[in-house]
Amino acid sequence: MATSRFFHGGLSDSESSSSSEDYSTEEEELEEDAQAVDESDESESSEESDDDNDDDDTDDDSKLEANNAGERQSRRNIFTRDAADEDDSDEDGLRRVVKNKKDKRFEEIEACIRLIENAQKINDWFVISQEFDKLNKLVTKVGHGDVVPKPYVKAIADLEDFMNETLSKEKTASKKMNATNAKALNSIKQRLKRNNRQYEQEIAQYRSDKENYLLEPDVEEAPVVQKSIPDGPETLDADDDSGAYSVVTRGGKAVQLTTESIFKHLKVIVEARGKKNTDRTEQIRTMEKLLELAQTPYQKIRVLIALISTRYDLSFGVLSYMATDQWKAAEKELNALLRVLEDNPSWVIVENGDEWEDDEKTPPTPGPGEVFKVSGSIVSFVDRLDDELTKSLQNIDPHTTEYIDRLGDEAALYRTIVRSQVYFERLAKAEKAGNIGDSLNRTIMRRVEHLYYKPLAVIETMEGGSYNLLTSESSSEALRSGLQQQVPANIVQNLCSYLYKNDSTILRTRAMLCHIYHLALRENFYQSRDMLLMSHLQENIHNADITTQILYNRTLVQVGLCAFRNGLISDAQSCLQEILGSGRVKEHLAQGVGPQSRYSTISPEQERLEKQRQLPFHMHINLELLEAAYLTCSMLLEIPAMAAAGSSPDMRKKVISKTFRRMLEFHERNVFPGPPENTRDHVFQAANALAAGDWRKSSDLIQAIKIWDLLPNSDPLKLMLAGKIQEEGLRTYIFTYAPFYDALSLTRLSEMFDLLERKVAAVVSKMIAHDEIAAALDQINKTITFRKGVEVSRLQTLALALSEKASGLIELNERVYEQKSQSGTVGGLQESSTRTGGGGRGGKPRTEFAGNAGGGRGRGGGRGRGGRNAPFPGGERASART
Amino acid sequence: MSSEEAQVADAAAADVTAEGISIETARKFDLTPKIMPYLDRHLIFHLLAFMRDQQLYPAEELLQNTYDLLEPTNMTDYLMELWKQIHGETAEVPRELLLKREKATQEWNKLQDETVTITGLLENPDVISNFRSDKVQNLQFLKDTHGVTDDMIDALLRYGQGAYSRGSYAPASDILYSFRILSTDGDKVNQATWGKLACEILTVNWEGAMEEIQKIKENIDTKAFVSPTSQLQQRTWLIHWALFPLFNHEAARDTILEMFFSPNFINTIQTSCPWILRYLAAAVITSKNRNAGGSRAAAVQQKQFKELVRVVKQELYEYSDPITEFIAALHLDFDFEEAQKKLGEADAVLRSDFFLLGSADGFIESARHLISEAYCRIHQRIDIKDLSQRLNLSQDEGEKWIVNLIRDTRVDAKIDYKNGTVIMNHPPQSVYQQVIEKTKGGFFRTQVLHAAVTR
Repeated sequence: MATSRFFHGGLSDSESSSSSEDYSTEEEELEEDAQAVDESDESESSEESDDDNDDDDTDDDSKLEANNAGERQSRRNIFTRDAADEDDSDEDGLRRVVKNKKDKRFEEIEACIRLIENAQKINDWFVISQEFDKLNKLVTKVGHGDVVPKPYVKAIADLEDFMNETLSKEKTASKKMNATNAKALNSIKQRLKRNNRQYEQEIAQYRSDKENYLLEPDVEEAPVVQKSIPDGPETLDADDDSGAYSVVTRGGKAVQLTTESIFKHLKVIVEARGKKNTDRTEQIRTMEKLLELAQTPYQKIRVLIALISTRYDLSFGVLSYMATDQWKAAEKELNALLRVLEDNPSWVIVENGDEWEDDEKTPPTPGPGEVFKVSGSIVSFVDRLDDELTKSLQNIDPHTTEYIDRLGDEAALYRTIVRSQVYFERLAKAEKAGNIGDSLNRTIMRRVEHLYYKPLAVIETMEGGSYNLLTSESSSEALRSGLQQQVPANIVQNLCSYLYKNDSTILRTRAMLCHIYHLALRENFYQSRDMLLMSHLQENIHNADITTQILYNRTLVQVGLCAFRNGLISDAQSCLQEILGSGRVKEHLAQGVGPQSRYSTISPEQERLEKQRQLPFHMHINLELLEAAYLTCSMLLEIPAMAAAGSSPDMRKKVISKTFRRMLEFHERNVFPGPPENTRDHVFQAANALAAGDWRKSSDLIQAIKIWDLLPNSDPLKLMLAGKIQEEGLRTYIFTYAPFYDALSLTRLSEMFDLLERKVAAVVSKMIAHDEIAAALDQINKTITFRKGVEVSRLQTLALALSEKASGLIELNERVYEQKSQSGTVGGLQESSTRTGGGGRGGKPRTEFAGNAGGGRGRGGGRGRGGRNAPFPGGERASART
Repeated sequence: MSSEEAQVADAAAADVTAEGISIETARKFDLTPKIMPYLDRHLIFHLLAFMRDQQLYPAEELLQNTYDLLEPTNMTDYLMELWKQIHGETAEVPRELLLKREKATQEWNKLQDETVTITGLLENPDVISNFRSDKVQNLQFLKDTHGVTDDMIDALLRYGQGAYSRGSYAPASDILYSFRILSTDGDKVNQATWGKLACEILTVNWEGAMEEIQKIKENIDTKAFVSPTSQLQQRTWLIHWALFPLFNHEAARDTILEMFFSPNFINTIQTSCPWILRYLAAAVITSKNRNAGGSRAAAVQQKQFKELVRVVKQELYEYSDPITEFIAALHLDFDFEEAQKKLGEADAVLRSDFFLLGSADGFIESARHLISEAYCRIHQRIDIKDLSQRLNLSQDEGEKWIVNLIRDTRVDAKIDYKNGTVIMNHPPQSVYQQVIEKTKGGFFRTQVLHAAVTR
């Protein structure tokens, strides 16, 4: 983002007035830090010493002519007294401490970088890898992703260059690196690539102008970094502007609020930002008045930008959320801002806008066709607005009317998102507006994320509503031409395909997941499954950030539900297995915190993070429904399989769903089973009935599950389930009682299971053809004749198992070889491996998904862990792998 | 070359698609519109000619379509003939057509002039004898001694293209051949190869076509494509073009089937052209009958069939026609009545398909084999009458059929004449046999692996 400017900011103070937006984020973080770091008051003395340090560092700042300590002391006292007069003096103290913490972090970063550089010299990748991890952690602490310290950028860019060099050397040179080193090199290669992608812009900046980029950090190293933070308050008290400052804050009645003095007031307010003892509500009131006075677009834009940021400043901290009225006001003002921009196409707000240095002069007036850029970021306003709504929804009890009321604001938010999308589209088209970066993509992604989980009717209302409102509210040409009404059925698809084309970051992955989710929601099982498989997300999703992993889990589950609704039992089971089999459904879907594991202790920090990730209630996928679907699928697959396995211990090992088996065993242990109460009881009693051959009872029990009513059309679903139960009941019956019969009449079977004779014959034929039972049909008598003497002795079973293992071993060897040689050039090998792959095994229907689920299942645990402990699950996993 | 033409053909195909909606089975499952975008204009011409013979669609429309199709080509004489067919014998041939003919002739003459030196050189035995296997050297040699320039060689390609466009395929093939000998430009050589394949197909020279198919296949597999999509597209074309030799040339069948079943191509079929499954199914089923190649070939066929069933099952939701449905009914649902019904429908479809017309009878025959095989596997006692009915045969024919079946496939069965039944004997597979079966290939495979690793 606007990183670089932030650091330049330390050099020219006058500029700070217009860079309000940047400050908003930084100051916020500062405050967050302050809270996290230290709630208790620091003693005055430590404060003093800290202060000394700072002043030393900032010596060269011309504004602070502090040459001897005594003078500093007095100045300091004056200042503190001032502060005390105004408000709690401690707050100011806090700020100092914070600064110090920040300094420390920067020092740590420097140290890290130095270590890396040293390690580079001796080519010790192990150390580099360790330090790199540490460095990353530090940087996130400092910057929260938005601000990237320059030395860091330099370090990672240099590191990448060095790595590439080493890699190319390594290729040519004969083996000389030891194993640990090579391993570390490999792991860092992957991580660095991923990491650097985030900072592409900064690195490009650095590369394009190595000398200048480095110049400042080279000359004054740490001071630049440190100075930049305290810049705001220091310029203030040195500026002799404190008179105006106190007037506004204390008096409340702004004396001379005139159109001419707007910028002056604005400057004062902006400079006061971030100071704890400023009265923000007062500032807001002032600015609201200023807004009324503002006449030119430039004035309006400037006031609105400052006003919106200040409103966002009102709430801070991770768990608290913005007050509803403030949110609404911010939303309205953001809309007003967009409207101003629409009406005046010659003004644009971009992140790298021109600075209007001197507010005393007359504000610029762009001629026709010219474009004047104001610095700011609409996309972060929108992002923040959205995040605040989510936060408040997370915190409000979902069963109250308040929640519903709040949810109603989503429509307004959606409208704003659409509007800003139009704005960005306009900017993207006009070349003069400059680079808008990924703003458009981010906005579109926000829009998709508001739509993908909603049923068609809701999308239609939202879309139509926003369209109508926007067209009626504003008659601006810019808005109208950019806005087109979309068919609700295609809107998600259209938005996503835009992202596929124009984005290569994580947004693309997320868009894909949302798209798949949406398709699954609308019953396009095959399409969504194919997309899921073709995207190859399973292979690398565990490298993604946690929210994306959650989205992936949600998508997977939704695809599973879709398969279930369409009667594709085994597909549904394998989709749901991965998430529901883990026993930590709630965490994986971010729908609440699961029961605490005995072994894992989570710090409050982690718990807070987890809480932050929770989805608002209206986005939840009903867990009970999920469980019902999963268990029913498992029952339909597991009961016949168990019957087929009979009592032979080897076959028993082939478990389809461990969870189901465990629960079934638990259920069977009950001595007196009462009437079913919850969904689970229903399913397990049904399972028992099915195993006993009583399909009618089983079917009744499954049908009695109330949760099915949540599905859009539950009647066909129930019919489908009944049909499946009949079939599986028949199979179970045959498996169970085959050993006791010589022959079974098809007619009788068809009566017993209330199925057509033809259907019975087809089911039995399938079983025979797949070698599940040793039998043949007798067409004349219409019976199944069972063959005798097919039971195998223990020795024979073992021999079979041994031969199977041997061929498995060969296959494995071949696969290893194939992977090594990549292309698999040996024809014979390829041939034989495909032969075994397509070999006629009994349980064929599962192959499609099982192949892909294999990788995922192993991951299940890993994800759970990642979700809880590690701030960087990706990095951790990667290192664990290599 | 082919890409442009395929695109233009697309437009022509769209016309055909529009009229292709009809209740009739043959029409419903007519694949011509789907195939056309992937074929060359000249190849489509044959499909359209076939459709005119079939009389599924109004003849006039087809004529018009043929005319539209060939308009961009330089086969002007034929075009005039077509014009007359459409608009009556007496109709005035439009001026543009005449102009076009003139222009085409001019161009043709120009191309001939441009290439006269090089073609002359290539016919000169003295020059030929100096050629080596190294292309660059040859080119240098020609440049040094005979003043051949790169432009002249490129002109050769255009000349070949022109000849092709005029419909003189055999000369075009020769010209493209000589171009390929000389040119070092990979892309152009590739173009020439596609062109030559078209020529070979159109001149019914299947051996030549097979060679070209192999060349293109290697090229697609080895060349680094910018986007996977274009690779996929090229594969799709190749698959469609290979249909010509597949059903017209016995010897090519195994090679092409093997190519189709290689992982890359089966994926291509699944993603971009599932309708090829019909041809794949037909080819696999018919080749089952010609079981002459000994046990090795039988094993390959068995494998291919299993693969086919797998793919058909996977793609069932995306593409189905009576032929794939037949396979699904027989091997996935074991619904013999359905299979029988589908077989009847399949017959109609086969007989109206350009590629499959010739193998329709063979397909029906093999399909019967399949049905009875599956039937016998599952049943112990079969009513001959019922089975004959399943196979669309009379009872006597059915009996004969079963006797033949028992003799040919060594099914362990006896006919009970009095009751009119067949009694199958399914000896349970011995465990020892299973173990032997499982471990049989192990040694060989390990050896192969060993050899591969030591290499």
